[in-house]
Amino acid sequence: MTQFLAETAWLIPLYPIFGMLLSIIWFPSITRRTGPRPAGYVNAITTFLAFMHGVLALPVVLHQPPIHLTFPWLEVAGLNLTIPVEISALTVGAMVLITGLNFLAQIYGVGYLEMDWGWARFYSMLALFEAGMCALVLCDSLFFSYIILEILTLGTYLLIGFWFNQSLVVTGARDAFLTKRVGDLFLLMGVLAIFPLAGTWNFNELAVWAQTANVDPTIATLVGLALLAGPMGKCAQFPLHLWLDEAMEGPFPSTILRNSVVVATGAWIMIKLEPVLALSPVVLNAAIAIGAVSAIGGTLIAIGQIDIKRSFSYLVTAYMGVVFIAIGAQQTEAALLIVFTHALGMAAIVASCGSVVLNNITQDLTQLGGLWKKRPVTGLSFIAGATGLVALPPLGGFWAMLKLVDGLWQTSSWLVGLVLVINALAAFSLTRTFGLIFANKEQPMTVRSPENLWAITLPMTILAGFAIHAPVILLSLGLLPSWAEMSKDVALLLTWSSIFGLSIGWVVYISKYVQKPVRLPSKALQDLFAYDFYTPKLYKSSVVGSVDIISRVTDWFDRYFVDGLVNLVGLSSIFGGETLKYGNSGQTQFYVLTIAFGLVLLALLASWSFLSQLTIGIG
Amino acid sequence: MQLQYFLLLAAALFCIGVYGLVTSRNAIRVLMSIELMLNAVNLNLMAFSNYLDPQAIRGQVFTVFVITIAAAEAAVGLAIVLSIYRNRDTVDMEQFNMLKW
Repeated sequence: MTQFLAETAWLIPLYPIFGMLLSIIWFPSITRRTGPRPAGYVNAITTFLAFMHGVLALPVVLHQPPIHLTFPWLEVAGLNLTIPVEISALTVGAMVLITGLNFLAQIYGVGYLEMDWGWARFYSMLALFEAGMCALVLCDSLFFSYIILEILTLGTYLLIGFWFNQSLVVTGARDAFLTKRVGDLFLLMGVLAIFPLAGTWNFNELAVWAQTANVDPTIATLVGLALLAGPMGKCAQFPLHLWLDEAMEGPFPSTILRNSVVVATGAWIMIKLEPVLALSPVVLNAAIAIGAVSAIGGTLIAIGQIDIKRSFSYLVTAYMGVVFIAIGAQQTEAALLIVFTHALGMAAIVASCGSVVLNNITQDLTQLGGLWKKRPVTGLSFIAGATGLVALPPLGGFWAMLKLVDGLWQTSSWLVGLVLVINALAAFSLTRTFGLIFANKEQPMTVRSPENLWAITLPMTILAGFAIHAPVILLSLGLLPSWAEMSKDVALLLTWSSIFGLSIGWVVYISKYVQKPVRLPSKALQDLFAYDFYTPKLYKSSVVGSVDIISRVTDWFDRYFVDGLVNLVGLSSIFGGETLKYGNSGQTQFYVLTIAFGLVLLALLASWSFLSQLTIGIG
Repeated sequence: MQLQYFLLLAAALFCIGVYGLVTSRNAIRVLMSIELMLNAVNLNLMAFSNYLDPQAIRGQVFTVFVITIAAAEAAVGLAIVLSIYRNRDTVDMEQFNMLKW
């Protein structure tokens, strides 16, 4: 039975698709009387079925080689597009993570969207995401991964634009779509350019090809950079990071999903493409540079935010930056571990913050405070997520970071320093958020703040439990790096960097030594971080501005030059007719004159040869 | 005396006729110019008949016809001028431009 389940693991994306289609029944325009709640229940059930399927299949695939299946899709002259599916421990494990997180997010949504009528739309979009991500991890082909990524981009647009009568939602959804689309289009260039080189889009065959490939370094670099650009937009890396900030306009349950797993789809593709990227050292260095800038910038901006959602959304950018660094340093296992622990930790943090926002209304960190006594469960969940995220032994994030730093130790020590700084900054940022929400004095907005209903609290605590038990999960899967191989110095360094960040954060934001609100000595610097390096202005003055000007010029050119040229033909005909009609003067004598001129002209033409000879004769 | 001189004289007379036809403002003078042109034609016919066809003199027969038709045409022309004059009270050709564009 379980063997059968393992072999049919490719069915897992179909459960949520089924739920998505069923949700349509409860659209307010179709079911007019009984409300949209069954859409949520149906989707939770289908997601749970998908989750159970994955959980039952996982033990089987752990102990056997990967199953490779192919589904024919399209065969045209010279091109054979079959969908390759890989059912391995990694892919099934990833699907369990996705469906599990989505199940909890859907239960969370049952509580969070209590007062909302748009359940059918919301849950169908969540199901689309779940199906898309499961299909993405199953799919073993760059081409079909690209297709799924594009569908997910559209899904992001629709899901962020859930409450579309808010103007900021509309602009946020627009930016999210366009920014991710730009990355996807670069990815498409890479996908198309790699086919003539490798002759295949299958990740496994690409890896085999990359081992012995003899490619012009320039071409390898360009293709690698194009393949890097797609995940760059997906993972909200600098400079394509603004969309994740604006995507925080979407509902919280979807934020759980997005911040934990959706942004990791780009990282997944990168991890799969690592052998190809490794063809060019320039690409690897670019990945490290992008990751480093995103991680440092993301943590610094996160510290500067006053919006609760944005203060952790920039941490997502930062942690994805760490994944980029790991991939750039060819540490794919460490990258996968970070993606896993980040998903669990970030999901717990987001769920906790959502629980705070739901009944304190404000998202402004400066208006929150003093919730620890009233909201211990929410606070503990936040702590569980935060400690699971930063490198604090014995929790999950520590092991992932340890693996990364241990791998970097040999190759480049400055990257180790960088990761330590990022870790400390992230720890500081999380402590700051925690302190501003839970510590200090009560504010008017937080005077009365009850703990939420079970539908919010239960998924939150389960997520917190998973965040805490991440090392146990890793241990049971045999993924925990063995303590003997790790250098103790590195572990100590990591621990100290976390403790350093946490304690500084404690001193500044939880203890009474520093006056609140905290001001940096330089107002300009504080604004720079608070307005995320003025990225919107940067976009507006560079890409958006130039595209705007060019499109205006093109429009003008089309409107006045191309159209004008054609209109000129018509206008000149009209003008010709209007002016030449005055040739009909109405005077008989003028007509006679015309006839006489015509006759003379004809006579001259007819006798031209004779007349010219006559001239020569005279000459 | 040569045929060419007759032809040149006739051509000159025809051109004078054309000039008068185009430039005259008086409708009667236009008819007179037409008469000049017809006479130039008659000169041509007579000259050709004399120099090229002295036996059959078909040109002279044509001339008789032309003179006859010219008389009839002048009569009709004068009648038209009279009828226009009755309506518009003038014989100025510049005033007869109702059928423009």
